[in-house]
Amino acid sequence: MLPYLLLSPLIVFIGALSFVPTADTTVEAFFRVMPLDPPNRFIGLGNFRALFADPAITTSWVNTAAYVVIGVTASVVLGTAIAVALKQRFRLRGVVLALVILPWALPAVVEAVIWSWIYNPTFGVMNSALHSVHLIGGYHVWLGLSRWLTILLIEIVQVWQITPLSALIILAALQSIPTDLYEAARVDGAGPIQAFRRISLPLIRPALAVCAVEALVLSLNIFDQVYILNGIAPLGSSVMLQTYVTTFENLNFGGGYALSLLVTLATAVLSMGMLALLYRRTEAA
Amino acid sequence: MKSLGTVSRRAGALVLSVSLAALAAACGSTGSGSGSSSSTSSSSSNSITVAVAYPAPPKALLAQFTKETGIKVTWVNIGWDDLQTKIAAAASANTYFADAADVDWSKVGEYQRTGWFYPLNKYFDVASLKSDMPQLQTFISNNDLMGMPFDSSFLVTTVNTKDFAKAGITTMPTTLAGFTAALKKVGTANGMASPLDIHFATAEGLSTCWYQMTAAFGGQVLTAQDAPAFTSPSSPGYQAMAWMVNAYKSGLVPKANINESDYQGFTTEMARNRVAAEMCDYSGSVASIYNVPSTSSVVNDTEYIPTPGATGLGGNVANPDGIGIPKTAKNVAGAVKFIKWFTNTENQATWAGLQGSNNVVSTFPLPARLSSFNLMIKAGNIAQASQLANILNAHAKAPFPNGAPPWYVQFSAAVQTNIHEAAAGQETIQQAVSAIASQVNQLKSSG
Repeated sequence: MLPYLLLSPLIVFIGALSFVPTADTTVEAFFRVMPLDPPNRFIGLGNFRALFADPAITTSWVNTAAYVVIGVTASVVLGTAIAVALKQRFRLRGVVLALVILPWALPAVVEAVIWSWIYNPTFGVMNSALHSVHLIGGYHVWLGLSRWLTILLIEIVQVWQITPLSALIILAALQSIPTDLYEAARVDGAGPIQAFRRISLPLIRPALAVCAVEALVLSLNIFDQVYILNGIAPLGSSVMLQTYVTTFENLNFGGGYALSLLVTLATAVLSMGMLALLYRRTEAA
Repeated sequence: MKSLGTVSRRAGALVLSVSLAALAAACGSTGSGSGSSSSTSSSSSNSITVAVAYPAPPKALLAQFTKETGIKVTWVNIGWDDLQTKIAAAASANTYFADAADVDWSKVGEYQRTGWFYPLNKYFDVASLKSDMPQLQTFISNNDLMGMPFDSSFLVTTVNTKDFAKAGITTMPTTLAGFTAALKKVGTANGMASPLDIHFATAEGLSTCWYQMTAAFGGQVLTAQDAPAFTSPSSPGYQAMAWMVNAYKSGLVPKANINESDYQGFTTEMARNRVAAEMCDYSGSVASIYNVPSTSSVVNDTEYIPTPGATGLGGNVANPDGIGIPKTAKNVAGAVKFIKWFTNTENQATWAGLQGSNNVVSTFPLPARLSSFNLMIKAGNIAQASQLANILNAHAKAPFPNGAPPWYVQFSAAVQTNIHEAAAGQETIQQAVSAIASQVNQLKSSG
């Protein structure tokens, strides 16, 4: 009984701040809630039908899928590469580790503002650097003109933020692998690449699954970077941005509830699917 | 074991009671929030919270207000976009957030329809104020005064006369065709690839710039019945959009503007002489930005010019800020006293610099009252005060003939995104116009 009683404040806290709003959102998603057109009234699946018929919402789902694919792939691959590099012993390793963590410690809004300056077509460092090594002939407008380039550049900002955590999780997993496994492999004639493929990769699989799910959740819910770098332009709009636009720009609270419910469901289903696909309990000993 | 069990039960009871207390507190706070909509608590009767997207007046002057009225003012300066979200969220949840808050001209119809703000008619004499406040009409919807204008910002054309003179242009063109030709010469003479600044990012600035350019072409974007007035290729709205998009595509406007939503970014371009003209500048920029030596390299080189139009001088669009009283305010009487004080003739002139730079409200454009202008003209310390007063009185008009419609926010979102996409080459002018018109018709039909 005592454990449950000790947990009860947490249950009450999470219940009040998470489950109650979720339940409320679920109920309200089936109502027409528009301050400009009161009163609220039950409309069944009306909000969902309107969302599926809205081309801006459809575009934002496709864009979000692109954010997720880029975000999950890049953060896991880069995180693994950084973790492997940091596992080696070298001078100033501690300093490098601290620098790697830095982007993770900054708020997403701050990072997006920093990158908006980097991408600035007039005096951004990206144009300057590429121009100085003769990769581009003149200064380019990077955001807002090409859909996929805009999405790629926005997601790079998020990858920059979330990769450090992935690297740390994978580094911890790598460091937990007993060294005698590598020594045995070396005795059997395995090279570094074989050792990584046959020993490291299978044993860090649970860590990779955690990182992939973390990247999935964050990129599925990307908002700050899109809003700051691209405004509400449909070109690179994400589904979370559309939730904001639907709720607070269009004052369609019912539509906003319905869309946020869909995002929640998509996040839960995809996260569990990814965990089921990737997560395997491993034991090195 | 027995004593441990007793401790466990006591600890459990304590934890449970704390949990229940927390839950009750959470419920209680919601309840009080809901119930605070019209009450005037004794603790709040001598204080008000003012939430606007504006810096506070000087502390000494606020203290003077407190001394005169006994009302203490807590000033909350929130970014414009964040403030709009906060107003909508607080009103929807029926919770208190301020006693007086920003009422943007574009929100007037929305607030009148939703009832989120009190009409101010019973506190202010609308009929007598109209002659002194040319932009008061912008804040009236269905005869309800939803906010009191507290500045008289309007959109103007600003040019760098030195750059124009270098290109041999000393008399400013009065038509847009002439202005376009002049800008090309200015660009060549001053080595500027793109001499003109216009907003093209998906932000409110792009929408208001279209209204301004439509006024320059001699019209408005909506009819008195709030129907689209821009679908015909010969209409001012259509021509304005075509002129803007062509200016961007032809390189007259910097390519970077497709993503530059920050107004400060535009004024910086002008202040650093990277461009020679602003088509949708805010009145007041010359004095408060371009003539400030610490941040500008064009001091005394810029001036407002009468807006070039299709065949002669064009109009200007009013873009004023207002202040109103949310329905969830706790101290309505205090808020009314504050608004009267904040918008009176002397204080309006003071915010604009009548009593010297120590008493100005930072970034304050111009007073809402002509009587305040008269004080400033008499004092002779504001750049082009009489010119601006003339534009304000004779030319600055509300963007919409019937006030901002209740569905303005959705309309503006459609305007921004479609003009942005037309400039970015993702759709044609005709497609952009059709998409915006379709949105207007849908919004009108849905009420």
